[in-house]
Amino acid sequence: MEHYLIIARSVTYAQRMQRALDRAGIRCQIFRAPRELTETGCAYAVRIQSMDLTAALQSLYRESLNPVQIFVSQRGFYREVDL
Amino acid sequence: MIYFDSAATTFQKPRSVAAAMQDAMATMSSPGRGGYPAAMHAADTAFDCRSELADLYHAQSPEQVVFTSSATHGLNIAVKSLVPPGGKAVISGYEHNAVTRPLAALGAKTAIASAPLFESAAVTEAFDHLVTPDTDAVICCHVSNVFGFVQPVEEIAQICQTRNVPLIIDASQSAGLLNLDLTRLGAAFIAMPGHKGLYGPQGTGVLLCGQDTPVRTLLEGGTGSLSIQQEMPDFLPDRLEAGTHNMPGIAGLLAGIRYVRQHDPAAICGRERRLAQFAAESLRTMPGIQVYARPDLTAQAGVVSFTAAGHDVEALAAALGERGVAIRAGLHCAPLAHRTAGTLESGTVRLSFSDFNTREEVYQFLTILRELLR
Repeated sequence: MEHYLIIARSVTYAQRMQRALDRAGIRCQIFRAPRELTETGCAYAVRIQSMDLTAALQSLYRESLNPVQIFVSQRGFYREVDL
Repeated sequence: MIYFDSAATTFQKPRSVAAAMQDAMATMSSPGRGGYPAAMHAADTAFDCRSELADLYHAQSPEQVVFTSSATHGLNIAVKSLVPPGGKAVISGYEHNAVTRPLAALGAKTAIASAPLFESAAVTEAFDHLVTPDTDAVICCHVSNVFGFVQPVEEIAQICQTRNVPLIIDASQSAGLLNLDLTRLGAAFIAMPGHKGLYGPQGTGVLLCGQDTPVRTLLEGGTGSLSIQQEMPDFLPDRLEAGTHNMPGIAGLLAGIRYVRQHDPAAICGRERRLAQFAAESLRTMPGIQVYARPDLTAQAGVVSFTAAGHDVEALAAALGERGVAIRAGLHCAPLAHRTAGTLESGTVRLSFSDFNTREEVYQFLTILRELLR
């Protein structure tokens, strides 16, 4: 199923994102980011459903939370989304 | 045992603290080290603890809350982040060795804003006189660990803000008791132990970092982030938290903080001050006793020092210990405070209270002391 991964700089930052999305009523989960997506090594990602991307980004930016990168998962592959 | 050494560590803890630590041992691994349930449970607990502390001390973000092993650890990070070798610091006359020894190790030129005990206005005046725009950092304990003197940190913060000098507050004796607002004070750092007024276990501490404060690492190592990069991450809390977290400690600290917030820090402080006042008033009636307290305990928290003429302070504390009263005597790792107050030669016997002490315990202590001094 298509979904987005919002990469955070740390687990604490990912948790701040998760709380912000929870407050906005957007369902999400924290995951370890797939190794292939992170050039700098270990990272965490917040996973959201594709229909929630716009609302999620609005909620995150409202709380000054900036993703490192965003990826969309399509047919088992990840593609980076331009921010 | 009657335990009156809570300025060193609160020995009696809420039951929830030990329970939380036991639960952590059974259910938590390391935060930031995996995506499996035990790692995420640890991460959630650490985040909850940061969030409670950010809320309590008005930090804008939980990321500004850094876990340390003690207030001393936090103060070392703070001092070494701001004061370069040979730099200039202004400190109060009541600082602990946790402040003065790092400054000495840096070879800092340290000016002491010295003022008589319980003279808040004189403290402010002394800082006003000494702090200049080229001061690298001002460092001040909120409450003296020897005398319970509550220093005027709001006024000192104003002086620092006006002169654009970073302020480090040592909240070792005030955490969990007195209000501190990191954002409004504009403090660069506030360091505190987890194991005193926050009722966490020993081995826990917290460093609150101002949003734009530059931070230098004391330790480098794994953080669970940016693993390929060989420099430490430039963001908090990861920059200052190399290595595996003390999860049982953090879980216990979270339980302690929740206890404090449920019981209201101001109410706890009020109870401790009433015990201190009762002790001070009663001690004052005993011949040969000098009590370091104002009659109304102005500018004083729940800590009281005293000396007894003709009695060595350590010998007196040892005799009290043999009779079941745990109390600390000597210089309390704060020779500067004793020098400022004029008690360096003798040292003092110190009573320090927690939320678990009672008036009856103070009464029993006074009875034992009277017998010893007879």
